[in-house]
Amino acid sequence: MIAAHPVIQVTAFGLSSGATFGLLALGLVLIYRTTGAMNFSHWAIGLLAVIAYLFLANEGVPVVLAMLLALALSPIAGIAAYRLVFRKIPRANQVVTILITIGIAQLYASLAAMVLGFKQFTRLPPWLPQGKVSFVGTQLNTTDVVTIALAVGIAAGFLAWFRFTRTGRALRAVAQNREAAMLAGIDDVRSSTIAWGIGSALAALALLLVLPHVAGKQGGLITTFDITPFGTLLIPAFGAALVGGLVNLPMALAGGFAFGLVRELLVLAPKPWSDLRAVAAALLILLLLVLRTERFFVTAQEREALEA
Amino acid sequence: MSAPLLEVRDLIVRFGGITALDHVSIDVAPGEIVGLLGPNGAGKTTLFNVISGFQKPDEGRITLRGRDIQHLLPYERVAAGLSRTFQHVRLFANLTVRENLLVAQHRHLSSGSLSAMLRLRAWRRDEEEALARAERMLDLIDLRAWEAAYPQALSYGTTRFLELASVLSLNPKVLLLDEPASGIQQKEVEALGPMLRRIRDDTGCSIVLIEHDMSLLLSLSDRVYALDFGRVIAEGSPAEITQDPQVLSSYLGRTRRAHASA
Amino acid sequence: MTEHAVEVAQPLELPAVVRRRLTSAELAGLAGLGAIALLPIPFGSFGFFVGQYALIYAILGLSVVVVTGYAGLVSLMTYSFAGIGAMVTGVAMASWGWPFWLALPLAAAATIPVSIIVGVTAVRLKGLYLAIATLTFADALGETFFKYGRVTGGQSGWIVHRPSPFRSDASYYVLLLAVAMALVWMVTGLRSSRVGRAMLAVRTNEREAQALGINVYKTKLTAFLISGVLGGIGGAFLALLLTSVTRSAFQSPLVEATSILLVTVVVVGGIDRALGAFLGAVALVVQQQVFQGARFFFAYFGIYSAALLVLFLLYRPGGLMQVARLQWRLIRARPRVGIAAAAAIIGLNVGLAWLFVRLS
Repeated sequence: MIAAHPVIQVTAFGLSSGATFGLLALGLVLIYRTTGAMNFSHWAIGLLAVIAYLFLANEGVPVVLAMLLALALSPIAGIAAYRLVFRKIPRANQVVTILITIGIAQLYASLAAMVLGFKQFTRLPPWLPQGKVSFVGTQLNTTDVVTIALAVGIAAGFLAWFRFTRTGRALRAVAQNREAAMLAGIDDVRSSTIAWGIGSALAALALLLVLPHVAGKQGGLITTFDITPFGTLLIPAFGAALVGGLVNLPMALAGGFAFGLVRELLVLAPKPWSDLRAVAAALLILLLLVLRTERFFVTAQEREALEA
Repeated sequence: MSAPLLEVRDLIVRFGGITALDHVSIDVAPGEIVGLLGPNGAGKTTLFNVISGFQKPDEGRITLRGRDIQHLLPYERVAAGLSRTFQHVRLFANLTVRENLLVAQHRHLSSGSLSAMLRLRAWRRDEEEALARAERMLDLIDLRAWEAAYPQALSYGTTRFLELASVLSLNPKVLLLDEPASGIQQKEVEALGPMLRRIRDDTGCSIVLIEHDMSLLLSLSDRVYALDFGRVIAEGSPAEITQDPQVLSSYLGRTRRAHASA
Repeated sequence: MTEHAVEVAQPLELPAVVRRRLTSAELAGLAGLGAIALLPIPFGSFGFFVGQYALIYAILGLSVVVVTGYAGLVSLMTYSFAGIGAMVTGVAMASWGWPFWLALPLAAAATIPVSIIVGVTAVRLKGLYLAIATLTFADALGETFFKYGRVTGGQSGWIVHRPSPFRSDASYYVLLLAVAMALVWMVTGLRSSRVGRAMLAVRTNEREAQALGINVYKTKLTAFLISGVLGGIGGAFLALLLTSVTRSAFQSPLVEATSILLVTVVVVGGIDRALGAFLGAVALVVQQQVFQGARFFFAYFGIYSAALLVLFLLYRPGGLMQVARLQWRLIRARPRVGIAAAAAIIGLNVGLAWLFVRLS
């Protein structure tokens, strides 16, 4: 019997949940930098993918197909939100921008709740490999390891795409200086659409990764399912984005892992500290705000671009 | 030569590999009108941004009436007597002209939120004073006809006058004007010169003027600084500046280079 | 010219010292108040219950009017402030035996430390950070303050009763109306004042506000503090409405959802108009009742109120007060078209409500 090593197991679990925060944060930062909007409906757009997956899986659709269809739904919802609603608000109008994304969040979340009301989901076919894997003398959940690997892989792929491809560079140009990019012939609307599409897909992936942890499952059967835990994901996601000053993509991903790690490691901490788990994210965010992480990552030019 | 009211010493601003301001020093005496001359990109607006506190310099010192104002936020510099206008007028688009002027009276009032909510006498007195001052400004800058209009309905020149009126409400000791004549019609430009001189004569404030309209700048200014590539390249009276070889070459040189690359 | 983002589409009003006739928008707001005031008459105790809810939502709506409508800051913890007010009222009255008149100011004051912590952290940063901070704090409060036994009175919560001179429904209703009207009067007074104008200036063009010597940080913090206090006051009366104040009323999804609903109330009423809070409150509380019997109340009402929020933000940012003004102008310019339009809008709303009730 291999001895369980709590720190390593907890670390794996923390990084696994951190993967979700990181992917969400990545999408948030992408959308924020390209379109100037902090998307409070990010989680709800991802939620639609979760509901779609549950629906399809419970109808007997094979897991892989259900996953792909679900992953396709979120970008559609996100792009619809951008083109039909969000585009109509002038960029500089910060208050209305935030409120509109909150409205969209409520709309999508309520739609999800309605579907849940009409249809009871009994099965949660896992889409990630199950079982255990041994690592440095400890047993880890394969799901956790695959989650981490998947998140890092996809994030790396995305960052490479962002940096090296023509479309990616176009998005970066828009993010840096919208006016100049438009003068250079880059289609601002197309870039924003792509940003919302990719960001939404990342949100979908993030929520699908965390789904098994949220739906209290017993042998593939969903015993409880309620959308509120998904809503609370937004907070550590914001926190992760804050680590990168809301503009730095790799730091957002790293921040996600950090938030996940801190929260889980607190389980191992002595009594008064471990109670902080519930508010760990809040305290970290408070710290990040006080530190004003933005100044490390945002140049004066970028600030102008974001505020223009 | 009286002690300078505003002293800027060795300001350096760098970003993204360029040096926007390179050891810029200027002096402004009380009641003086100082012109800032230079091609686009010379750093004039950056200089204003730094002096008024909207941008932080990498190095340098700014003193107003002998007091170091470097650590003061923009609104604190206003309290110290330094006001400015912007290159692109924005104002408050959803307030009428009169309401814009009411906002500008902020510094002259003192009642707090509690007396406002309870509508105490201090609030009432403040409101009457704010109205009186705003009315006076309306007449001073000849905006009476427009008092109930919104900035969108005004000509660009009139909005500039409104901005000027708002800024004058602050009783500035030093007024930084960023291209007050740009984008306005000729006859309004002609009214601007005497108006600015009258303002200086009546209030004794100093004015620092960025302006591309050469005749306006040279006719108004007591002294002129010429800037190019973030550096002061010449300083003197308007007559001296127009003869200065450095100034001439910076303008002519720019034009020649532009033609060459066209 | 559309580059100049006109945030508040509605013109601000002249200072109150200048006497003037009531505008059509204000009349509409007062009509909303009147509707609330008269609700118990045809609808008896049900109307009394709904009316109380509307009045409390109006009071909490004022909190949003000040922080978002005046100062342009998005706060997602309005209902958390109400929760603090309600819980403190519960503790003071049920645990310490205080009368309501002492509990009320304590409830209001209890919000101040929280709004200072949140405000001071976020006020020097962009408005977006404050929005994130309030969301974070709402959640954190739900996990700590609203779970702490000494505050919440354990599982059973606190039982509070109306103060003795106001035990009867009628007298209490009049009290609540009077309090709501007094608060609206105060918030309107704030708007026509140095501080209020500074808030509106900061909201419209922060850079220009700075250039005019306005201390934007102090202005924003003041707005946030006032909004917290208004939330606390609303919470105290909320406690009396609920009678039994339990922690489940202020737990995570509900507290953020209600904060968002309060923003919707104010957007529907007229985001920067104190009187609009009555209009928005009565509209939404009544609509809430229409949905009440439905199978998936939260989902349906969620979709409906979200749609309202988005549509009003896109097309009628001045809320129902703007609608009233436009409608009045239309009626005066082209009476038949105007009245037909008004009838159509009202008919559509009533028709949809009736249809919905029949189908669900």
